[in-house]
Amino acid sequence: MDWGRLQFFFSEVWRNFTRNLIMQVTAIGTVTVTIVLLGAFLFTRATIGAIGDDVLKKIEISVFLRDNVSSADARKLVAQIARDKRVKGVSYVPKSLGLQQMRDRLRGQIDTSLLTSNPLPDALRVQVVDPSEVMSVASSVRKRPGVATVEYAADAVQKLLRISDVLGRIGLGIVGLLVFTAAIIISNTIRLTVFARRREIAIMQLVGASGSYIRLPFIFEGFLDGLLGSALALALLEVARLELLPKLTVALPFVPMHAAGHDQVSFALELLGVGAAVGIVASWVSVGRYLHA
Amino acid sequence: MISLRDVSLVYPNGTRALDSIDLEIGKGSFVFLVGHSGTGKSSLMRLLYREQLPTRGEVTVDGTRVDKLRRSKVALLRRNVGVVFQDFKLLSDKTVWENVAFALQVTGARTKDVMRQVPRVLDLVGLSHKSRMFPSELSGGEQQRTAIARALVNNPKILLCDEPTGNLDPANTNDVMDLLHRINLKGTTVVIATHNALVVDRMRRRVIRLEDGKIVADEERGYYLSNPEPSSTALPSAQSA
Repeated sequence: MDWGRLQFFFSEVWRNFTRNLIMQVTAIGTVTVTIVLLGAFLFTRATIGAIGDDVLKKIEISVFLRDNVSSADARKLVAQIARDKRVKGVSYVPKSLGLQQMRDRLRGQIDTSLLTSNPLPDALRVQVVDPSEVMSVASSVRKRPGVATVEYAADAVQKLLRISDVLGRIGLGIVGLLVFTAAIIISNTIRLTVFARRREIAIMQLVGASGSYIRLPFIFEGFLDGLLGSALALALLEVARLELLPKLTVALPFVPMHAAGHDQVSFALELLGVGAAVGIVASWVSVGRYLHA
Repeated sequence: MISLRDVSLVYPNGTRALDSIDLEIGKGSFVFLVGHSGTGKSSLMRLLYREQLPTRGEVTVDGTRVDKLRRSKVALLRRNVGVVFQDFKLLSDKTVWENVAFALQVTGARTKDVMRQVPRVLDLVGLSHKSRMFPSELSGGEQQRTAIARALVNNPKILLCDEPTGNLDPANTNDVMDLLHRINLKGTTVVIATHNALVVDRMRRRVIRLEDGKIVADEERGYYLSNPEPSSTALPSAQSA
């Protein structure tokens, strides 16, 4: 490793980077805003997707039994419903188990110890083979003796998925525009640096520096703009995650937000990669145009 | 070393800078290109380091057809051809040492080569003791010697000088010409475009005269003018080349 060459390269990069500090700050700031919005968009999309997936996976009919139905009658009902070919599975959830499951789900979010009695009824959970048959299965179950109410969420799921799709498209369009804006600003920043260093570039060309050698410090500068911008954005997103997410979880306890931030390391690396790639591509185009002009 | 065959250059605005030039310059030569401003001296020089392509004809430098050279190969040509200008083209925020080293560093030279070559050329041009100074702290002659050191640091076979003494007083002019002469004695082909009659007449080397883009005279041991008046060659501190 020739440290002298490396030192020269980085001194050239530093010289470029500090020459138009205000423009650099603008470029970095634009990347930051873009990546924050991209991160927020991806988080929201993942959350909505997780809700949809969650509900779809569990598409089932909740059958709530009357208070006077005995445990033995409930088990008979389970056996009857299970004989229906449209039914994939039936499980019996006594009210005590239902309360326990609710307590587990809301642990740390809502203080369920305040409940002095169990307000939940005994219930059956019925999974159907085909979600499109939820309605017909539900109506046949509703007619059985001992059944108080029947609930299912098929319509809600369909609506949710449609909304998620539309929001996804709009969000992607906005993020696309922001990425384009960040690329233009980085490109202009690099162009200013190139213009400020046109004399040095002319001398480099005169003494036989190769095109790639001239280009490389500028491309590295664009890479730095992108990387620093996205690193700053990640820091802001992390602050938001630490500060806002607990509050959101309390405010919306039934929304599975943990699913969106499941693999945070790869999520962070992807955002860093997007920022760096925008910087590299923008500076590559900018310097390439100048050198071929 | 340098060969031009039927070379013409017409700029996009229609100006004919060079017209059917045929020229041979041998290895180790010392050649003056003379003529008034606008006669095509600088245009001819630019063809040699591929800053400009001819409209017609063949340009060969050290065995390479420059007019056919791919853009990606231009850098390699220029490492073999040092170029010096009237306005020095030094970087004001770099010291003498850094300006000279820059030419090596940007071609990807190894640090140990930079550390060996830069002191060697600074010694050759007599600026070792001013290596830490910035261009603004140097005289015009010293700045030009720095530019020459930068042009030489890659060990080029050819040194092209476009009006190298145009901004210098007579004393500095003599210093720079003596330096170019010494460089030539080491085997480097030196081509100087100038309209400084005193310099040309003092050196008495090959003189190629251009007028309206054409070669009108080519003389060994020539003068700036073909038939000089005796008084025009009476120079201060004249030195035989």
